[in-house]
Amino acid sequence: MIRFEQVSKTYRGGHQALSHVDFHVEPGEMAFLTGHSGAGKSTLLKLISLMERPTAGRVLINGHDLRKIKPSQVPYVRRDIGMIFQDHRLLMDKTVFDNVALPLIIEGYSVQEARKRVVAALEKVGIADKVKHYPQMLSGGEQQRVGIARAIVTKPPLLLADEPTGNLDPKLSMEIIRLFEEFNKVGVAVLIATHDLGLIARLRYRTLTLKDGRMINDGLEDSEL
Amino acid sequence: MSLLFRNRSIEKGASSRGRLPWWRRLIMVPVHHAQQAIASLGELWRNPFASFMTMAVLGLSLTLPSSLYVLVKNTSTIADNWQEASEVTLFLRKDLEQSEIDTLKTQTELSEGVESVRLIPKEQGLEEFKEQSGFGETLDYLSSNPLPDVLVVIPAESHRSPQRAEALLNRLEKQREVAYAKMDLEWLNRLQGILNLIEDILGALAVVLCLSVVLIVGNTIRLNILSKRDEIMVMKLVGATNAFIQRPFLYTGVWYGIIGGLVAWLATALLIWWVESAVVDLTELYETPFQLNGLTLGELLIIWLIAVGLGLAGSYLAVRRHIQSIEPE
Repeated sequence: MIRFEQVSKTYRGGHQALSHVDFHVEPGEMAFLTGHSGAGKSTLLKLISLMERPTAGRVLINGHDLRKIKPSQVPYVRRDIGMIFQDHRLLMDKTVFDNVALPLIIEGYSVQEARKRVVAALEKVGIADKVKHYPQMLSGGEQQRVGIARAIVTKPPLLLADEPTGNLDPKLSMEIIRLFEEFNKVGVAVLIATHDLGLIARLRYRTLTLKDGRMINDGLEDSEL
Repeated sequence: MSLLFRNRSIEKGASSRGRLPWWRRLIMVPVHHAQQAIASLGELWRNPFASFMTMAVLGLSLTLPSSLYVLVKNTSTIADNWQEASEVTLFLRKDLEQSEIDTLKTQTELSEGVESVRLIPKEQGLEEFKEQSGFGETLDYLSSNPLPDVLVVIPAESHRSPQRAEALLNRLEKQREVAYAKMDLEWLNRLQGILNLIEDILGALAVVLCLSVVLIVGNTIRLNILSKRDEIMVMKLVGATNAFIQRPFLYTGVWYGIIGGLVAWLATALLIWWVESAVVDLTELYETPFQLNGLTLGELLIIWLIAVGLGLAGSYLAVRRHIQSIEPE
């Protein structure tokens, strides 16, 4: 599903965020990406969602080389990837409904057609009753759920989450992770970047570890040993 | 449309409900346009003061050229009405006998395109000159009369257009007895020249004003875009194309044009109404009834189209530069 081949990323100014990263996440797999702050987790996710381009090496999604994606095609790639952020990235002046419906509207759905799907997505994350609220009226955990609903409303085959539990207490964090597990059960590949080692320890998923831009553990060798 | 995942609609997602068929998407295009147009009108209401300022600038900038246009148009009509040669003056050679002069007068009267001919003998001419010039008795000291005999020819109705009158003048001038001929069209030519000059100035002024309108609208839209930076980033993250993001801003520009055009109409109408009473007062003094012509329906439409075009051009400039440059980080 996601394949990195000798990927390096050097930012302008010379900071090397990733160097020679190799790994492969299978379709339908759920994996954690961990490492200390600045280890390159966010950069790695940005390379997948085409917010950044690698300096060297190549990134493949479902066998497609992202180097061949032209800037005008980037939006269509992003429609295949559900993205979840630590800071939710919600539109604060729009209702929960409008926020979750946005990806559908972009794809050409009418509001009426989008309604069913939006309600279904909100039900799945457990906040169907908040459809007319504005994000400010919701708690942090609820806001994160809105962000997740927006990411899954188009039923993408791939979910990326950047510190989705960063601002949440352990109980809420676990609930969010359980949500991801549910999506994973129906075949969605999930890659979650987090530095919450306690959370990872309680779960037995593959864990990719970055340190200073290098992949020091891709989570496979341990199981082989 | 999925680039990375073929047949994503039957891909094992959360459920097997398909995506939209292509024809549904096609139907949705105009619906979306209408929705976004209305949405961006609503956007204008959120910031009515700034929006109205831009519209007013757009409208008032168009008011100046369009009022000047009305002025030129009306002056041209007046000039056209007066563009008729009322008389051709023939100055005769000095060595003619009285009988030759009388023959010439009769001949001219009979020739084509002439309504009437009046003879001003040189003695009468001198008397008139004495009275009008103010030289008075001084002219008595002249040993001989320096003035020639003059025939004043009034062209027939059919020969009063500048070209026909010119031809008549050339024909009459060729006669042996005529020293030279003159027409009273000079000042009309000068008026025409002045009108052409004003038209050129008007054109240049209109171009400059239109350019500044484009820049002002562009700047307003630019500020709009920058204030929605975060929203644009989020939209890009969930897969919105530049075209989708820029559409509301383009519609905002169109709305600026539509309402700015109405402002231009109103302001021009007010200006014409204001000037009209003065013009009527003036023409009453000359006892010539005169109707100031305002803008016709076609001209109003053209002004409107120009306003919309300028709004669109300004917003297009802004979105081209700024929507692309905002990338999620």
